[in-house]
Amino acid sequence: MGYPTTMDGILGIWTALALMLFVYSYPLYKENQLFRFAEHFFIGLSLAIAAITGIQTTIRLAINPLMAGKVHYIIPILLGFMMYLILHRDYRWVSRYPIAILVGSSIGLGMRGTIIPNILSQIIATITPPKPGADATAWFNFVYIGIGTILAVMYFLLTFEHKGPLLYPTRLGRWVIMIGLGAYFGNTVLFRMAMLSGRAQFLLQVLGLVPF
Amino acid sequence: MSQESIWDRLQRIDRRVIYWILFILLMIPFIRPLSLPVSIGPQSITFIEGLRKLKEGDVVVINISSGVSAWPECLPSLVAVSKVLIQQKAKIIFWTSFVDGHMTFEKIVEKVPEFKKLTYGVDYVHLGFYTGAEPAVAQLAKNIRSIFTTDYKGTPIDQLPIMKGVNSANDVKMVISSDTGDYCDYYIRQWRIPYGVPLAEIGIAMNFSAYQPHWQAGILFGVTAGARGGAELEKLIGAPGDATITMDSINTSHLLVIVAVILANLGYAATRRRK
Amino acid sequence: MAEVVRRELVYVLTAVVVIIMIVDYFFAVPAISAIAGELNTWATVISTMALTLGAVNIIRVHSRNVRKRTPGVWYHSAWLIFIFAFVLLLGLTNINNPSANPIYKWIFDYSYVSLGQTWYAITGFYIASAAYRAFRARNIDAALLLIAGILVMLKNAPIGEVIWAQLPVLGGWFNDIGQMPAMRTFLIVAAFGLLAFGFRTLLGRERGFYGEVGGG
Repeated sequence: MGYPTTMDGILGIWTALALMLFVYSYPLYKENQLFRFAEHFFIGLSLAIAAITGIQTTIRLAINPLMAGKVHYIIPILLGFMMYLILHRDYRWVSRYPIAILVGSSIGLGMRGTIIPNILSQIIATITPPKPGADATAWFNFVYIGIGTILAVMYFLLTFEHKGPLLYPTRLGRWVIMIGLGAYFGNTVLFRMAMLSGRAQFLLQVLGLVPF
Repeated sequence: MSQESIWDRLQRIDRRVIYWILFILLMIPFIRPLSLPVSIGPQSITFIEGLRKLKEGDVVVINISSGVSAWPECLPSLVAVSKVLIQQKAKIIFWTSFVDGHMTFEKIVEKVPEFKKLTYGVDYVHLGFYTGAEPAVAQLAKNIRSIFTTDYKGTPIDQLPIMKGVNSANDVKMVISSDTGDYCDYYIRQWRIPYGVPLAEIGIAMNFSAYQPHWQAGILFGVTAGARGGAELEKLIGAPGDATITMDSINTSHLLVIVAVILANLGYAATRRRK
Repeated sequence: MAEVVRRELVYVLTAVVVIIMIVDYFFAVPAISAIAGELNTWATVISTMALTLGAVNIIRVHSRNVRKRTPGVWYHSAWLIFIFAFVLLLGLTNINNPSANPIYKWIFDYSYVSLGQTWYAITGFYIASAAYRAFRARNIDAALLLIAGILVMLKNAPIGEVIWAQLPVLGGWFNDIGQMPAMRTFLIVAAFGLLAFGFRTLLGRERGFYGEVGGG
């Protein structure tokens, strides 16, 4: 996509730039009416698009099959409408039934699926040594991950007070966790800066200083 | 009255100064690129190796659970992966759990010129939007047609040649999930473990940390770290793109953050020593 | 009787759904599999219909601002409601393919996309100021966090290798190995937490979803 040549394209990218600058006027200057304008514009827009998508997908998922003769689809449609009674103080309890199905299926699916990947596989990966012929670094990493994981799990799972024989292992466990959180922070910075650089690039593209 | 040191003044600096410096530093590398080389991590190498195992005609699902707001992080990897899938002559099914996912699909098609040689509906298709989190992902694994009856343009699914014989996870050779949250967890629990479908994650940089254990345990065959991962994939396939350009502004912004942390801690140590 | 319908039956329904999902996974019973599939479809339809619920609730809140003419706020709320109604009507003109309406498509492509990317990226500013104002190595824990963070940043940014060739190696170790115990621990502990939470839900002791406090 090069620089737009049609009127609506040019108007579009300049509108997009203006909205972006309205939003960034808050951190770069101070809170102001332009920021509030853009903020409420985005909220209204997002709600409308969510509503349209919800209606469109409901028609596709439930109404069309119902019209095609699958009568049992009336049940989830009724349950979906029951959700809206959450907004009415006297009939709020009716919405608990569709929530029960949502919560029950999500928890059931989560419970049944979490044991192998999140517990068994992780333990197996932790205790599996490097292949024969591996170098010293691989063995060091294996020992670090194994002991580090045990110490960090001790820190989380032991709900006794961390004193006496528990004091040093759990403190080491906390340090291991801090190293992990530090690396997570480093990746978070990458994420945030990559997103912001996309906006900086867009500003330069609209001004024609870099190509689209 | 005690003299105010430079450290005291630095610690009171208006944060808007930092914001302006950051914004300007982000822009400079786009005008004067540094073009520094990117080293490649093992997670990206195994990602490409996993894709290269595909045979002609294998069906691959690309789940787009990242919106247009995550394009700088996820789109370059999606573009690189799509190029490899086309080279392997795989059939690609896109679907999305984001309301603007169709825009990501159209952007991928725009950025990968090889799609022009393919036929929509035969070689690739976008089935559209689904919602429902883990129950929907579980139901897709059992019966795709219970969630999708048409593609995103409204063409009935049975009129699409690519969907012939593709009914459930048993008919899919691989899933690539691009997400900014939990969707890869759902695909691990509902596709990877019960059906054994190979799975890789194109995620934001924070997801790299979260899914590293799964990669090391062999549950995922690849994980990307946002824009950095995209740059690594681009280098591996010999096609530098948007992520490689983004890495330049990553350099300047990261240096600013590091200098800020170091200065702040030096100031903290200096003021503490004085007290 | 009213209490049974309002509370107890709901907990029983939740427990039954959880049990069906678990039995479906571990036992190959065609009838259970069919019911589980149906329940998944119902859950999908319910959450799709709930997409509009958030919109309805927020419009209610903002309508109140407009009705009461809350100073400094009501005209923004009026703008929000106007945009919501306008775009909704545009989309409803062709609900099967709203993008066919050129105005809707223009607003989506140039306003929604730009604002979405802008809002998502704004936290980049805050992380820079947080780095300057809040990240102090006050003790060993904080120092370890900062050292790991800085090394990973220098690994992620190609300039790290220019500063010192070993920086990406060190940062790579922290990124690939150093953080593994912590991340693995979070996974394992969260999984145990989910199982515990699930059993409490099964037993009807977890009631936060239904707007009740406490449980037992």
